[in-house]
Amino acid sequence: MIELEGLTRVYQGGRGAVRAVDGLSLTVGNSEVFGLLGPNGAGKTTAIKMMTTLSRPDAGRCLVGGFDVVREPGKIRERIGVVPQENNLERELTARENLTIYAMLHRVRDAERRIEENLRRVDLWDRRDSVVTGFSGGMQRRLLLARALLAEPSVLFLDEPSIGLDPQIRRQLWDSIRKTRIDGRTVVITTHYIEEAEALCDRVGILCRGKLVALDSPENLKRSVGECVVEFIDAEGKLVQHIHRGRGEANADAAGEHNSSVTVRKTNLEDVFIKLTGERIE
Amino acid sequence: MIELGWYPVFLKEMLHFRRKLLKLGYLFSAMVVPIIYLIAFGFGLGGSVRIDGTSYLAFLIPGLVAMSSMNNSYTWVSSTLNLSRLYFKTFQVYVQAPIAPSSIMIGEVLAGMIKGLFASALIVIVGILSAPDFRITFLFCVALLLNCFLFANMGVIVGMLTKSHEDTATYSNFFIMPMAFFAGTFFPVDKMPTLFKGVVYVLPLTHTNILIRKAGMDAEAWVSLGILAVYAALCFVCGSKLIRGYSE
Repeated sequence: MIELEGLTRVYQGGRGAVRAVDGLSLTVGNSEVFGLLGPNGAGKTTAIKMMTTLSRPDAGRCLVGGFDVVREPGKIRERIGVVPQENNLERELTARENLTIYAMLHRVRDAERRIEENLRRVDLWDRRDSVVTGFSGGMQRRLLLARALLAEPSVLFLDEPSIGLDPQIRRQLWDSIRKTRIDGRTVVITTHYIEEAEALCDRVGILCRGKLVALDSPENLKRSVGECVVEFIDAEGKLVQHIHRGRGEANADAAGEHNSSVTVRKTNLEDVFIKLTGERIE
Repeated sequence: MIELGWYPVFLKEMLHFRRKLLKLGYLFSAMVVPIIYLIAFGFGLGGSVRIDGTSYLAFLIPGLVAMSSMNNSYTWVSSTLNLSRLYFKTFQVYVQAPIAPSSIMIGEVLAGMIKGLFASALIVIVGILSAPDFRITFLFCVALLLNCFLFANMGVIVGMLTKSHEDTATYSNFFIMPMAFFAGTFFPVDKMPTLFKGVVYVLPLTHTNILIRKAGMDAEAWVSLGILAVYAALCFVCGSKLIRGYSE
């Protein structure tokens, strides 16, 4: 469904050229939920902007649904839905007006019915005639999701879909995203929330400074570095983490530490990121 | 198939405009500047000055219509586009939709024209009520429509080029505001010094002011109409190109 080959985007900044995305190559299959995980500034949003025809690549190739982002952007726009990182709803218009404009832009057939369906899907039908400025952050994110799904896209792009939301609202949004899988569409998510990537994605690509440093399912990525982590505070007050292949090894290591705050837990994607890059994600 | 991608772009702007109209302050602010000019120049000088055989008020009102249509068409489009592109990011919704760049251009320009025509209509009403020898001719309507179209197109260009909202004020201060004063709004251009006149005749608003005051077509009217049409076509092409080339 999506093929990236050596995709590169360079920005000219005050301190010279910055390679926001640097030779990114990967494929995303049909009906797959794929995550791009990395800290702020890793190049996730830039990659999404190129895949959704908003930014032109400086080098490399990007095909979405078999169409090239540079030569056939119109064909791609007919097939994608986007939830951007920044809320780009028309704040002074109502929820229904926002979706009506979008439906017209995307030539959605039977628009009235589709608008009702999508507003109900995200539990906003009762607020359909309310102006967006009165919506909470979570409601606005849900409305963005409803808008992105309105034209029944075959590929859905979600750029940091739950950024700034409290944990409870975040889980509600995840439920809404999970529902979209039932329709069999391909979903690409960028996130810097470990939990989000683990909860939603079939495979995860880990980005650091524009480069892809790992790509696999969350389980395989965690298994590749070890299944358990032993954490304790050392004599200098620093957090020390030892990653072990199995629970037995980890328990033995923990038993050897004469430290009251020693804990053993399962490896997460943040541990994978630290192991591969030496940096933290969140 | 007819491309109707411009309609949602236009509709969105009209929904915003309708909400603004419901606020009394907006209606008042759209009228206040031309009304001040009308009172200060028109009613102040109106009684003692006659130009080309008509009262100064009858001369001034078409000029104020041209100025007001320029300001409103231009400012609406340049501000809306600039803010939606840089701050609200709503412009990106158009870019990621399967519509032609020219559709975005047409939708924005038509919305700017409506805003310009609305502001002009308010001046026309005041004109009809205050100046008995003020006439609306066919050429008046042509000049007004062309002026709104041209400056809405310029608004698109500035809205797409500026890198911050403050930049739009720079373009206004160096281009729009001097044109409002020197391009024949308040006094005939042919009364100006020869050297200055050369510069003024390059400005599009000068030709709107010439055309909007003509009773019928003559050689001068044809020239002004041609110049305005060329400016409008060039600006439309430039604006469309800027939208087509948009990349973040």
